[in-house]
Amino acid sequence: MNWYTIFAIVALLICVIGCLFHLIRLIKLGKPKDFSKTAGDLSKAITYSFTGAMHPSHKESAYLHLPEYSAGILFHIGAFVSILLFLVQLIGFPIPWPWLVWVLTAGLTVTSVCGLIILTTRFFHKVQKEISNPDDYISNILVTGMQCLTIGMLHFEIPILYFLWSGLLFIYLPFGKLKHVVYFFAARYHLGFFYGWRGTWPPKNN
Amino acid sequence: MSTISPKQLEKGLAILQKLDDSKLITHLNSCVHCGLCSTSCIYYLAEKDPTLTPAKKVDLLASIYRRYHTFLGKTFPAISGARELNDEMIPELIDKFYGACTMCSRCNIHCSIGLDIAFLVRTGRMMLSEMGLVPTTLQSTVNAALNTGNNMGITYDEFVDTIQWLEEDLQDELNDPTAAIPLNQPDKTVMYTLNPREPKFFPLSISAMAKVLHAAKESWTISTDMYDVTNYAFFSGNLAEASIIAHRMMTEMEKLNAKELILAECGHGDRAFRWEAPNYLKIHFNFDIRTSIELLADYIKTGRIKVDKTIIKQRVTLHDPCNLVRNGGVVDEQRFVLSQTVTDFVEMTPHGIDNYCCGGGGGQLAMSEYNERRMSIGRLKAEQIKKTGAQIVVTPCHNCVDQLLQLNSYYKLNVQIKTLAEIVADALVLE
Repeated sequence: MNWYTIFAIVALLICVIGCLFHLIRLIKLGKPKDFSKTAGDLSKAITYSFTGAMHPSHKESAYLHLPEYSAGILFHIGAFVSILLFLVQLIGFPIPWPWLVWVLTAGLTVTSVCGLIILTTRFFHKVQKEISNPDDYISNILVTGMQCLTIGMLHFEIPILYFLWSGLLFIYLPFGKLKHVVYFFAARYHLGFFYGWRGTWPPKNN
Repeated sequence: MSTISPKQLEKGLAILQKLDDSKLITHLNSCVHCGLCSTSCIYYLAEKDPTLTPAKKVDLLASIYRRYHTFLGKTFPAISGARELNDEMIPELIDKFYGACTMCSRCNIHCSIGLDIAFLVRTGRMMLSEMGLVPTTLQSTVNAALNTGNNMGITYDEFVDTIQWLEEDLQDELNDPTAAIPLNQPDKTVMYTLNPREPKFFPLSISAMAKVLHAAKESWTISTDMYDVTNYAFFSGNLAEASIIAHRMMTEMEKLNAKELILAECGHGDRAFRWEAPNYLKIHFNFDIRTSIELLADYIKTGRIKVDKTIIKQRVTLHDPCNLVRNGGVVDEQRFVLSQTVTDFVEMTPHGIDNYCCGGGGGQLAMSEYNERRMSIGRLKAEQIKKTGAQIVVTPCHNCVDQLLQLNSYYKLNVQIKTLAEIVADALVLE
């Protein structure tokens, strides 16, 4: 095992431990305790929070911003595919079909371009500029970079750069905004709880 | 602006460590700064100011949290935009948390992650409240409630006089000497509440509900000691004061031994007592609570009152109060009532859970320093009303009534603003 592979594995461990820290803290703090008398079905509401409420037709953040929303979705798909391929690279498992290499290349090219578009928009869009800080740019660059380098690794031998970059991403993830990978699920749960308790979700006839 | 003391700072920051459950740290750690919430916010839609987006308000609070409670924020604050809570931040915090958000929570529904942004703004208000930085105009409304029992400072004599002449008028109107607005009667089925704006400015809305309760042959009463459904400390963010006001209502219910508390048409009042008060007081109430909207719907469904929808022929639309509907779950009842009481009903777009706030919530009506902005953001509601072509706007919330009356004048809408009880009273068929 090379030093850069060891670095990447240690970085991944730091990432997993960091994410577990956040997750365990959330679990320990627990669910809300509400003394009011509920008017809704909590389990249906929480399920709705993760499903119907996330549907693009129900969220203005999606249907009023289709290009940005779509780019975001594709960018996230690219991120998860890259992490999966990282594990494949780590194990040294070869991709069995040449056509799959090209499918992955094409897909990750699209998702990387999405990442670059999102990054560029953040530099120029007045709403995003107002709320952005270096963490936002660093997070995007790390994730977009990993996707680009994954494409590189599919065709070239660039293991040092690839594993070092991936390692940096994994070390950074639990500390910056990328930790939303854990908190997203908790946020949807809490929102479902809040609206479900009151009977607002799932919507009746509205 | 005077310098904040270390003691104030400590008290303010303690709010961010008040972790009863995982909700606060979840929402403080979730925002990805996509900014897509901007087009769901009436402040941003009206003013197109990037400092007014929900994400900006979240980041103000989250940046403070990061500075004091995260590794990156403590060690490398510049990287995560972590900010110290200091004198420089205070004016911005006050302006954004109190003056640039009604906590309508429309952004919650549309946030790409699912942050409870309104909850975070309220947490920001709690922080400022702990530091003694509630806007004076808002705090004076809270003080009136704490000192006099109602937020308008109406005296006992004024209130009783008003109720007595309303009762006399009701008896004349119905030609029925048994028609009454009973005060302080124990062991009734219903203890009814009022928004103090009613006895002060809109007494006929009390008559309207009294007429309906009489027609339904309801066993009911109003308490002279605690009739105020509102809880402006919910807006100021002072939990201790909110608890005092909530406790008074609970005590009064127990004293009069009514079976059910009916909350008057008041969005935040409905929310503050039904959903928040049990959590302020950490008590499960041993009495039933409903809003008057649900009561009116029930009366019509069960045939306790008869209504004739042909009486009201004008086009009617409905403004959904945020705290009643989106944050309170009462969505269909008012629509059912209107389907039975008016001929021509048209919804606004959007409506229901997705409605636009009128701009009067969150204590805005009490904070005169934000009047100009409040009128500006009300433009969206004004445009919605115009598009319906309605002549009557119904809203089951007296705060919204006040804001809509002002928008009516400001934007020359030429509409009538009515509560749901007034519509039902107008459509009532008396036997």
